[in-house]
Amino acid sequence: MSYVEDSPNRNDPVRPGEQWFFYWKTSASLWESRILQFAPTEVVFIPVNWGFHAESASEWDFGRIHPERDFKRLTQLLTQHGRKYCFLLPLTPAPFLPNGGVPVSSARTLSISRDGSHLAVLDQESNLNKMFSFFEPKVFQSFAHFVKKFGAFLSENKIHSQIWGAQFYFHQDRHKHSFIDERSIAFEQGFSRYLKQNHPEGTDLTDPKAESLLKETFTDEVASLFKTTAESSLGPYWAGVQKIVTLGGSPKETILRSLPSGKSQLEYTKDLFYHFIHQDWISSSLLNAAEKKETLSWILKEHFGSREIDQRYNYQAYSGDLSSEFRPFGVIDLFDSKNQKHFDKLGLTSFLNRHFRWLYQSHEELYFTPSSIDINQHKIKFFHGRNLDRTTFSQILKLFMMGQRILLDTTGLPDGLDKKLQIFLLENNLKSQSVNFMTTTHICELGEGRLILFEGKRLIENPAREKFWANIFKYFHLVQPEMQMDDDVFSMWRIRATSPHELSFLDVRRVNIYNPTSYKKVVSIKTHKHFAFMKMIDPTRASAKSTPEGVDVELLPNGKIALDFGHYEET
Amino acid sequence: MSLNLIYNFQTSQNLDGDFRPASYCVVYFFSDDGFLDNALLKEMSKTVPDADHERLTFLNLDDLKTFAVRVCQEVSQQNVRLISIQDYNIGLDGAKDLQSYQTIFSKYGEMVQSESAKKKGLFGKIFS
Repeated sequence: MSYVEDSPNRNDPVRPGEQWFFYWKTSASLWESRILQFAPTEVVFIPVNWGFHAESASEWDFGRIHPERDFKRLTQLLTQHGRKYCFLLPLTPAPFLPNGGVPVSSARTLSISRDGSHLAVLDQESNLNKMFSFFEPKVFQSFAHFVKKFGAFLSENKIHSQIWGAQFYFHQDRHKHSFIDERSIAFEQGFSRYLKQNHPEGTDLTDPKAESLLKETFTDEVASLFKTTAESSLGPYWAGVQKIVTLGGSPKETILRSLPSGKSQLEYTKDLFYHFIHQDWISSSLLNAAEKKETLSWILKEHFGSREIDQRYNYQAYSGDLSSEFRPFGVIDLFDSKNQKHFDKLGLTSFLNRHFRWLYQSHEELYFTPSSIDINQHKIKFFHGRNLDRTTFSQILKLFMMGQRILLDTTGLPDGLDKKLQIFLLENNLKSQSVNFMTTTHICELGEGRLILFEGKRLIENPAREKFWANIFKYFHLVQPEMQMDDDVFSMWRIRATSPHELSFLDVRRVNIYNPTSYKKVVSIKTHKHFAFMKMIDPTRASAKSTPEGVDVELLPNGKIALDFGHYEET
Repeated sequence: MSLNLIYNFQTSQNLDGDFRPASYCVVYFFSDDGFLDNALLKEMSKTVPDADHERLTFLNLDDLKTFAVRVCQEVSQQNVRLISIQDYNIGLDGAKDLQSYQTIFSKYGEMVQSESAKKKGLFGKIFS
C-alpha cells in the first residue's frame, strides 16, 4: 500500500472525510504520521472493516497475523497522541468497503436494489464495491461471531473506546434507502421463512401493497437483529446508532459518476441541502477530489464540519442560550413519520420552500430532552395527529405549556387523544378562538405558548391553500431577512449572541450563500427594518453592496460569500 | 455521445383492482451528459399508443425499441443501446473498477439505429 500525501487537491483514501480513518488503506507503519494529520481537537472515527479482519470463516485477526489489523496498536497510537477516537461498526452493507464489508467466505449473494440491478458503488479510488445480501444466514452468523470476538478483544486489551453502530443509506429520487433493503434471492428465501414462522396459518399476498408492507417489516426486523446483536456483544462500549447517507452511493449515482460529465456540483449541492433539511448525517467518503472541489468542499467544511460532527455524535451540545460561536439557525420544525410526506400534501413544504427556504427541518420523531427543548424553544413546530401516540401527544402539550408554538393537524388524531385534548383544554380553562378560513382552525393561547389546531385534510385538494399558510405565518410575525434568488443558489443561516460592542443588537445572523452553477447569479436581500448589514466575510468570486432595502450580492460561477446581519427590534 | 437504455421486464400485476399487464419498463435512460429528462421521455412515449406514459412501460420489446429510437431522433443521435437489467447485472458481476464498469455500455445489450442513421448509411454507400 502506498502512502498518500495530505493535499486538498488529491484523493486521500486514508482520510476520506468527516474525520474518518481508513486504517486498512495504508501501512501500519504509517498510521502514526497519518493520525498526526488530524487536528488535535478532532475526534477520529475508525470505521470497522470487519471483513478485513477475517482470517478464515471462524477466525478473526486483530493484529496477531497482520499489522494492519492491529487495533491494539492503533488505539495506543491514538491515545499516545492525545486523540479522542471511536469505532464505527457497520450494521448494514457499507458502500465504501469491498463486498460491503462482508468477509469473502460469507459473500454469497449479491444485493439487488428495488430497480432490479445489483447494488454496486464506485468508491473514491474508482473501485466498484459490490454489496452482498445481509439476508444470507451465513452473513449474520459471521457478523455475530465477529462482534463477539471484537468485544472480547477490546475487553482483554482494556481498550476503552466508544462504538457507534452505523446504518448506511443512499439517496435516490428524493428517498432515503438503506443498503440493507434489497430484493435478492437470499432476501426472498428469508422472507419465505419469516412468513412461515410468523404467519403459520398462511398469508394472502395477492395484494402487492400488503406484500410490500410485510417485506418492509421483515427488513426492519433483520436490521434490528444486526443492531441488537452488536449492542449486546459490545454493551460496555455501545454509544448508539447513526444513520449515515453516503453521497454518491445510489445505483443512479453509480451510473452518473461513471459518465464523462459525472455528477455536477449543483446536483451534489441540492443533495446536501436536502440532507440538511431532513436532518440526515452524511458521508463524503465515496467522492474523489474532483467531485469534492470548491462548492461541495466549502459546504462540507462549513456546515457538516468538526463542530457539527461533535454535535451529531454527542461529544458537545449547544447550550440553550446563544454563545459567541455561530450555530445553525432555523425557525420551523416539521414532525412527520418516515416517507409520509404529509406536509407536502398540505402545501406547507412548498410554502416554506418559497418563504423560509432552508430555515426549516423535517424530523421523524420528537426528541424530548431538556437540552433539545431549550435549543429549539424558538421554533414553530408542526405535528400530524395520525402519527401521534400518547407519549408524544403529552410531550406536545407540555411544550405548549412551556411557551412553545405548536401547530397540530388534527386529521386522523386517535379517539383517545382527541378526548385527552378536550380534557386538557377544560382542565386548564383554555378558551380557543375559532377561525373558519379554508378549514376549521382553533387558536389557544397560554402565556407565550400557542396551540393551533387545524383540519389539514381540507387543505389537500384546495388550490388556494397557500393563502392559509400565509395567514398562519402572518399571525406568528416571524422576523427574517427576505432573500430573492434563483432556485440554483443556496444559502444557510447561522446565529450567534452579540459581543459586548454589539449590544444594540438582539443577535447576529450569518448567511452563507453559494452558487454551484456555471452562470452568474444575483441575490437580493431585503432586511425589512429589522436587520442591519454588518460585514461580508470571505467572498470568493462574489461581491456585495448595500442598498436602501438591504444588500445586493453578485456571485460568479462557483462563487460564495457570507454576510453578517445585526438583528434589532423595530422602534 | 452514446445513448443507453436499461430496461426490466415486469410480470403482470393487480393493484387495487387495477390490472397491469406484463410489460417492459424503462429503468434508466442516459447519455454521456447524464440522465434524460423524464418529461421528455414521457412525451416521447406518447408516440407508442399502448404504452403507459406515466410509468414508462411498454407491452413488448418492439414498442420499447420504437420509443428508444424516437428519443434517439429527438436528441439528434444515431443510435441507442438497449440493455436488459439481467445483462447489466452480468456486466456488473464481472466489473471491478470504473474502467471495467464502463465497458458494460459497449459490450452488452443491443444497439438500435435510428432511421435517419440507416438512411445516412445508404448515402454513405452511394458516395463511397
